[in-house]
Amino acid sequence: MSDTVVIAAPKPIRSPAELAAVWRWAAITAAIFSIVVGVAMVFAHLEHKSSDPWRSPELLKLKARLRDEPHNDALKTQIREMDLQLRQRYFHLLSLKASGVYLLCGGAAVFLIAAGQVRRIHRRPSMPKLNPLAAEQLVKARRESRLAIAGCGAVIVTVLFATAYGSKSPLPDDAVVAAKLVSGSEATAVAADCATDDELRANWPGFRGFDGNGYSASGSLPDSFAAEVALWKSPVPAPGFNSPLVFGAQVFFTGGDATKREVICLDANTGALSWRQAVEKVPGSPAQLPEIPEQTGFCASTAATDGRRVYAWYANGDIAAFSLDGRPLWARHLATPKNPYGHATSLRTWRDRVIVQFDQGEPEDRLSKLLALDGRTGATIWEKLRPVGASWATPVIAEVAGKSQIITLAVPWVMSYDVVTGAELWRVQTLEGEITPSPIFAGGQVIVASPSSKLAALRPDGAGDVSKTHLAWSVEEGAPDVTSPVSNGELLFSVSSGGLLVCFEAKGGKKIWDHDLAMETQASPAIVGDRLLLLSAKGDVVVCPVGREFKELSRAKLEDAFFASPAVANGRVYLRGNKNVWCFGVKEVAHVH
Amino acid sequence: MVRNRQLARWPFLLACCLFAITAFAEPRFPPPDFSETQHQLPVATTPAARAVWLAYLDVAVLAASLGLATWFIYKQRSRRGLFWLGLFSIAYFGFWRKGCICSIGSPQNLALGLFDSSYAVPLTVTAFFALPLVVALFAGRSFCAGVCPHGALQDLVLVKPAQVPAWLEHGLGLLPFIFLGAGVWLATTGSIFLFCQYDPFVPLFRLGGRSAMVLTGVAFLVLGTVVGRPYCRFACPYGALLKMAATVAKWRVRVTPDICTQCKLCEHACPFGAMREPEQGTPPPGQLALERRRLAGFVILLPVLMLTGAWLGGLLGGPAARLNPHVALAEDYLAVKDQAPTQVANTPAELALSRARLDPQSLVTKAAQIKRQIVIGGWIFGAWVGLVIGGKLISLSVRRTRTDFEPDRGGCFSCARCFESCPQEFVRRGVGPASAPEGLVGPADAKGAHV
Amino acid sequence: MSDQPQPQSATTRRQFLRDGSRVAAAAGLGGLLALVGTRSQAEGTVWQINPQKCLRCGLCATSCVLEQSAVKCVHAYAMCGYCNLCTGYFEPEPNDLNTGAENQNCPTNAIKRSFVEDPYYEYSIDESLCIGCAKCVEGCNRFGNGSLFLQIRHDRCVNCNVCAISRVCAGDAFVRVPADKPYLLKERH
Repeated sequence: MSDTVVIAAPKPIRSPAELAAVWRWAAITAAIFSIVVGVAMVFAHLEHKSSDPWRSPELLKLKARLRDEPHNDALKTQIREMDLQLRQRYFHLLSLKASGVYLLCGGAAVFLIAAGQVRRIHRRPSMPKLNPLAAEQLVKARRESRLAIAGCGAVIVTVLFATAYGSKSPLPDDAVVAAKLVSGSEATAVAADCATDDELRANWPGFRGFDGNGYSASGSLPDSFAAEVALWKSPVPAPGFNSPLVFGAQVFFTGGDATKREVICLDANTGALSWRQAVEKVPGSPAQLPEIPEQTGFCASTAATDGRRVYAWYANGDIAAFSLDGRPLWARHLATPKNPYGHATSLRTWRDRVIVQFDQGEPEDRLSKLLALDGRTGATIWEKLRPVGASWATPVIAEVAGKSQIITLAVPWVMSYDVVTGAELWRVQTLEGEITPSPIFAGGQVIVASPSSKLAALRPDGAGDVSKTHLAWSVEEGAPDVTSPVSNGELLFSVSSGGLLVCFEAKGGKKIWDHDLAMETQASPAIVGDRLLLLSAKGDVVVCPVGREFKELSRAKLEDAFFASPAVANGRVYLRGNKNVWCFGVKEVAHVH
Repeated sequence: MVRNRQLARWPFLLACCLFAITAFAEPRFPPPDFSETQHQLPVATTPAARAVWLAYLDVAVLAASLGLATWFIYKQRSRRGLFWLGLFSIAYFGFWRKGCICSIGSPQNLALGLFDSSYAVPLTVTAFFALPLVVALFAGRSFCAGVCPHGALQDLVLVKPAQVPAWLEHGLGLLPFIFLGAGVWLATTGSIFLFCQYDPFVPLFRLGGRSAMVLTGVAFLVLGTVVGRPYCRFACPYGALLKMAATVAKWRVRVTPDICTQCKLCEHACPFGAMREPEQGTPPPGQLALERRRLAGFVILLPVLMLTGAWLGGLLGGPAARLNPHVALAEDYLAVKDQAPTQVANTPAELALSRARLDPQSLVTKAAQIKRQIVIGGWIFGAWVGLVIGGKLISLSVRRTRTDFEPDRGGCFSCARCFESCPQEFVRRGVGPASAPEGLVGPADAKGAHV
Repeated sequence: MSDQPQPQSATTRRQFLRDGSRVAAAAGLGGLLALVGTRSQAEGTVWQINPQKCLRCGLCATSCVLEQSAVKCVHAYAMCGYCNLCTGYFEPEPNDLNTGAENQNCPTNAIKRSFVEDPYYEYSIDESLCIGCAKCVEGCNRFGNGSLFLQIRHDRCVNCNVCAISRVCAGDAFVRVPADKPYLLKERH
């Protein structure tokens, strides 16, 4: 008997085999425990993911029922109880999962320790043997490895190839090509679903033209506006103070009254009526029409076109879109404008969007807003509240440093918005009175007018409130009251309703001359090439040169009354009077369409 | 009290001044002034992010752990030390730091930082990238031995290691390199951080995460009970970098620092298939010529493989670009751009499309630029895959000479397991039977016997 | 041994190659680090939501790697109208203006409504219950002042290398911000 046995005898040491059995038992128990906990956690997880209290169909059903029976108190109690139950369950499962993780970790730890011990006890020292085939085996292993790598490579190549060929992408990897896919200013414009900027610029797609400045740099005016040289005149089928639009061989305007409101299209070559469509049965439009003074009427807002559709807006808040051939596309009732003089702001388009400056009421009513609608569907793309009350000016779109801004006027703010997102860019506090003249963007400046009191020029490159920093100049004498100013970037003209025409330096605002035209002027003037075109409410058509001295080149008297601004496109001038639409200019035109 | 409250408000006010976004939104409902009750408006709390000095502490812990691991491997030759260091790493870098920050993800941050000027790589990330690599250039994969929580976790669960056949080991050994290439490629555009997205253990450290990745992590651990460190060997992209660095390391781990007696006791000691047997002996005649021809063939094949890879990678660039959210949105937008949008966007996809409609021009242009970058990157990625495959074929065709049992320089995780199997080690530590050196075959004899 | 000098020289050649490669690798690594160094910053970044870009799609509640999202609703009290009919708190067309579950918008009862003075009520967020679903944020932004908004709460966020929500965010609203200025708060101007 050896000493060790004697020492061991009183305190029986478990044999390694016994010890291993205990550890094995512990390992198996821990493994089973971990698996059970793991499976339970998977179930708890699935249950938790499907137990979102806010998606419970029963609860939603009960809530729907409550809408039908709003006074059912028993039902309310039932909802509250169910809601509490669902929430408790949700958070209970959440804590269950959290505690399960610790159980699982504990189980795994016990398993690892026990399994490690089992292995330690069972470990036998290795008994290396001489391997005479070692060298051959190595060569064989090398060969197999090379084959395996080739195989792996083949699998990878196949997978890559299949992935590459299994997919089709509409996106090119060239930025210029990609840009053309969605560009509105490229000849290949498809995505924006509107005419190109060049095409629109050659026409007269909105109030005071493409950008709303009433300025056509390249056109020319006919020598005479005598009634006998008119290409055609066509009676206005429905009343309205809105201005005509021209796109291709079509002239559009709106007309109507409390009974019916229409969009009218004339053939630009003959003046014949192409189509007229009433805007009826607009969803949500109340039968009760607002009271609109005679001086404004229901159709003071000028329509707009993006070269694919024409959009019209009326003083009762209805907005409608028609295809160029007169098919009704969509109509919306935004809201009935709260406006004491009747709504008069015109629409503006940018690419295939309709920009709606919907100012109304008083600033504290918080009703005024600016919207961008999708021209195809009328859906609102963005909408911004405006801290202002009613105004009557039409926004213009100015391109500053490659980005288009919407410039809006309403007391007391001139505010500029990013046309893409609707984010406000800058604002200047300068306006007073009841804002009727629209802004213009000329010579890098925004020119705004407070009726009869102030004419101001602003730099449009600010951010935030730039009232103190971005006012370039302002003058108090010679500000227009109803009409909008016009400028070729160098000279600026304003005309009052009494007929006082004033010429300023666009830079600096120095007055150069003034002249009393002695006619009532309600229509905004336009500059075409180097000529200034002015219309009177009594039918006068006056042409002056754009120059540093006043001269009257021609004056014609037509049997009509002009409140609408002229439209100029393709060598022709279209005048909408209260009685007739007149067309002057070249007979044959090559239409850009 | 009042003073305290004012102090507490300071960070908030400061925060507002510094980074409140200028919003011009007009409130629909004017906020009340509470003239009647003088009600004080509460302020939203802003719990601070993790302090910056703690990030530096992470770097310090990493550096200290790397030093300690190297010391355990080379000086102490202590498996036990590495084991406890591994446990500490699992606790600190794993469960405490929740697996983030981690060296495995860091190559992506560097790639993004190099190619995207708007992204600045935090210095701590750079340190996590560089330190283990620098150590690997001198001392091999000390990082894997006990500093990386991923490795330590897998090391911990290794209960009953089985040998993976050499061909499988080599075949699957390609994957980390390809994963590395793909991850860096896609990270340059900020499209996706593949290593982080498909990290199986971080969800375990966080005790929760995407179900698929939690299950993958559990699967890796279950597999890891019989296959040593499956993620490190067959997936880890940072491991691929360390492997390359360790191949040219100045010092290397040896089974015995003294002299190998070729007793073969360590033959099966490595659970990671990194033990290399002696290789020598004269090849049969003709064999050498065949091997040389094969080697020449593979060397010629290498550029062919790389070119094919580049071509395939370019093709792959298109679908891979979809992993970039901008590209995916631009493609979705282009697919539906001619359709009229839904009046009210509700689902996240519809909301994203409504965002795309706001400014399709810049979205599509940007997406196209990203796609171009990914396609060009695809060529490089493909060439890299070709290089990896070709390089591996070449390295398997080079005849090597090895006289001792020694761990593979690149493949060895420095786990110190093999030390314990070496009789010399017991002698060195003075724990073996005193007669052992005499009982063993003398080194010179052993060599002589084999040569 | 002595009659086989070849392995010896091969070893030295290999050693030389290895040394050369190591120097090259070290130089490469150094170059890379120098290049990265020019584009590094000492300070870390954290993720945050730009509330101006958030589209309230609801993915914050479900896409975070944490069981309960680190994104929570935050209230800019100074912007709040303290409305009786709070469109963030109440469902559209609520049955009654009380705290009953049938009227509440929040699925987890995380908004507390308390009376201040006639007719004003204060709304505060219980973050332990908030799951970041943005239902209240949507109601408040669509019909109210927009004083409720989502923010990543940095006492919970684990600051993943790439935020899992940022990959799916419908509004592309996730940005990396400096760690010492970790919030993008809405504020009354």
